[in-house]
Amino acid sequence: MKTELDMDKIARGLGAERRGKVAAGGGYFGAMQLLADIQARFRVPSGGGRATDPSWTERRLLPLAPKTLKKLEEISAKVREHGMNVEPMQLAALLIEKTAERLSEEEAEDLVRPKRRASR
Amino acid sequence: MKKRAAKKPRSRQKVLRGGRKRVLVVLFVPSVERDGTTPIDQQRWVDASLEMFGRVFGGATAYPKAKGVWRDDERGGALVMDEPVVVHCYTTPADIQDDSNLAALGTFCRKMGRDAHQGEIGLVVGDEYFAIREFGRSR
Repeated sequence: MKTELDMDKIARGLGAERRGKVAAGGGYFGAMQLLADIQARFRVPSGGGRATDPSWTERRLLPLAPKTLKKLEEISAKVREHGMNVEPMQLAALLIEKTAERLSEEEAEDLVRPKRRASR
Repeated sequence: MKKRAAKKPRSRQKVLRGGRKRVLVVLFVPSVERDGTTPIDQQRWVDASLEMFGRVFGGATAYPKAKGVWRDDERGGALVMDEPVVVHCYTTPADIQDDSNLAALGTFCRKMGRDAHQGEIGLVVGDEYFAIREFGRSR
């Protein structure tokens, strides 16, 4: 029988973040399998810290407009509804990575070049 | 003349209303602090978690220690050896969604996270993994 649980209510009640779906099984082997799954995917018990891409080793402060942060929060909240955990700034890092891969020098120059005012 | 449908026995109805303990709650009790080397009083936390699960949800089982290792890429790929204990508790959908029960469980996790210097306390409810990272708040 499928168990219908309000996971958002549970997260609020616990003061926890929803991180994603796991295949939780009962008994000793289920417990060990689940532990291995969680350690591999979320790296939880001892090290702490958020699950992240190991290649993201550099950290910089990123100035943002409030509306941009709000947009990132909205998108990451929608992504989390599908069981994939991503924080707003992780989403920002992903977007920067993907955009930087595709961006040519000319396009970058266009982005930073002062916009010409419309002729009066 | 219409036949009246036979009434189901009371106990059967109760089972179908969700009275059975069919939601698995899993708590991970770590063996070391977040630095990966300083041992914690794991037995104390296992006993405390069993006491809490027993009082709030009616019972739980702690499995023997597992041995684990993971590579901490944020610390130059240092290997962190860990021996977590997995605690299983079966409960009902109603009990796990009860506000006071959730508050008791959350309070316990925050206390363990704070006192045992963890980065995160992991909890599985049903088929979802929850992370508790802010330990300062009391609810």
